[in-house]
Amino acid sequence: MSDDHSILICDDEADLAGELGEFFTACGWRAIVHVGAPDALEALHAGASPTCLLTDLRVGHFSGAELVAATRRLPAHLQPRVYCLMTGHVLDTSEAKDFGVDLLYVKPIDPDMVLNDIQKFLADAYSP
Amino acid sequence: MIFLFNRTSAHQRIWPAALCAVTFCLFVVTALLYGWETNNRALLSESVTTSGWVAYQAQLEYVKADDAMKRAAVRPDADALADLGLRLEILRSRLPLLHASEDGRMLPEIDALAPMLQRFETVLDGMIDALPALEQSVAPKEPVLKAWSAALSPLGRDLQSVLMASVAYNDALFARERSLAGQTTLLPLGLLFLSGSALVSLMWLRGRRDRERLLEVETARRAVCEMERNLLGVIQAAPTAMLVLDPLERAVRFINPAAAEMVHPSPGHPDWKRLIDTSLEEVQIGDDGGMVVRIAFTKSGGDVVSLKGSLSPVMWEGRPQMLMVLIDNTRTRDADLQLIQAAKLATLGEMATAIAHELNQPLAVIRMAVANAHRHLGAEDARDAVAAKLDRVTLQVNRAKRIIDQVRRYGRQPSGKAASFPLRPTLELAAGFVAEQYRACGIRLALQLDVPGDLSIVGDRDLLEHVIVNLLINARDAFELRALARPRTVWLRARVLDQKVLVEVEDMAGGISEEVMAHLFEPFSTTKPAGAGAGLGLSLARSVVRDMNGHIVAENMRNGACFTLLLPITGPPAAREAA
Repeated sequence: MSDDHSILICDDEADLAGELGEFFTACGWRAIVHVGAPDALEALHAGASPTCLLTDLRVGHFSGAELVAATRRLPAHLQPRVYCLMTGHVLDTSEAKDFGVDLLYVKPIDPDMVLNDIQKFLADAYSP
Repeated sequence: MIFLFNRTSAHQRIWPAALCAVTFCLFVVTALLYGWETNNRALLSESVTTSGWVAYQAQLEYVKADDAMKRAAVRPDADALADLGLRLEILRSRLPLLHASEDGRMLPEIDALAPMLQRFETVLDGMIDALPALEQSVAPKEPVLKAWSAALSPLGRDLQSVLMASVAYNDALFARERSLAGQTTLLPLGLLFLSGSALVSLMWLRGRRDRERLLEVETARRAVCEMERNLLGVIQAAPTAMLVLDPLERAVRFINPAAAEMVHPSPGHPDWKRLIDTSLEEVQIGDDGGMVVRIAFTKSGGDVVSLKGSLSPVMWEGRPQMLMVLIDNTRTRDADLQLIQAAKLATLGEMATAIAHELNQPLAVIRMAVANAHRHLGAEDARDAVAAKLDRVTLQVNRAKRIIDQVRRYGRQPSGKAASFPLRPTLELAAGFVAEQYRACGIRLALQLDVPGDLSIVGDRDLLEHVIVNLLINARDAFELRALARPRTVWLRARVLDQKVLVEVEDMAGGISEEVMAHLFEPFSTTKPAGAGAGLGLSLARSVVRDMNGHIVAENMRNGACFTLLLPITGPPAAREAA
């Protein structure tokens, strides 16, 4: 948990997005919450540069997968270090890489587990 | 002639009319002839009566006067002279009558003597005037009287000739009368015979026509009786329940064996009244304008049967009654309902992923709210924050309940019973049921429900909801089967149209091909990949809509297909009047 960490949360379920933001804020993260993918992408373009992008797979007409793909096309300094995707659909054999993300979750998610996974991913990916 | 009468009905009308006209004319002619003859006879009788009589009287009076004059000449006393004066006066009075009489007008001989007669009238006047003086005179009277007799002698000859002319005229009249009598005997008789013949012919024709009509009526009556017997035999043998009921008294007048087996053998049984009451309350107007009945009837034993039939006005035993034909379609109905239930469950299966996703949404919120509430528990001012989280949890639980209720309602077995229900909430529920799928597929579902919230229709609400869901899912599948760049929008519309409500499901997914359109509502007609549908949805939809006395049609419009349901409105009255 570090003040340097920030998370951009995108979910068209406003209550869920708000609760996630509250959780991560309580954990010491700077949370940026959006309920629409275009708004989230605009924030990324504007230089939000979050440590983590956590998005729902279905966020209106602009899907979470499309948001991830668009984000990956941003300059490297604007891209988050970890991509997380969550979905309400039942997934049998799908994996995170199938969606071009680092972490994949099925709703309802355990926020503590998500936080730990992100921290672990960051630690593993960016440890010297 | 009879042969001609039989040719055509026109002849049958013309000949009696012609005979009527001929008979009438003959009667008129006969009457005129009779009048003319009667008039002639009267004239002749009068002529015969008067002809010669005046001449005879004049001649007679002349003879009497001449005789009186001769007797006075022999013995000229007062009595003889008085008698002479009387005779002269009588003779004088006869002369004007002679030339003023019928004979005087008709006979030229009398007419030619008129000046002579007038001269003798003057002579007689002179004699009558001179007679008193002669009576007083002492001179011999005989010469005077002889002179007078000689003076009147030409009158006697003329009167004799007039009498002869009158007699000749009278003979001519008699001859004419006899001639007329001979002529008039045959002609009126002939005319009367003709008139009578025409009348007899007319009456014979009328009688013949009446006999023919009577025969036709009798033949028709026998045919009707025969037909009635045959019809009754058919009704008795028909496997379909048939009954005749009195709609006013709500009583059964006749039942066939199938009806007796279906409800009760006795028409007076209370079950019949219950069935009639239910039927008359549920009667509806069908596509062809006839009265149709669809009821669920509970038998005395408790079994519920689905009855379907029709009502028709008939004359039964001379009274206006209603013929009700009923078939027990319980098994067919049950099979349909099972099929619909299977289709609904299949739809639910197809939607399971979407339903799971939809349920996961409130669960995800609840999970996060609980997690955050736990974090708040350690803080001093946690009460309000935790309470807010619990409120959020409650809202999400209710949301999940609504989803589950929707699934449960959609998945339940249809009752198959018709009842009045509001249309708009039904459409909204159907739209809500597929909303998540549409959202997941990126399809916009546009609702244009321009109907009052309390506008009601009659049918099985669950079945209609299934029909709408089925149409919406078909629209979704049409988009999924085609990669189309055009906007992915489906419209669900409802509006009132002429005492009916129009429900439309229109998509922009490219439409339906002509080959598919021709068999669209037939069972097992589908364009979906194998395993994606049995092709029964639209067939069942048509069955459901027909049971509601409605229609469903499909057509290609703009860039897609449009399914239109036309359903009769049942209430509320205000909405029907407004419509």
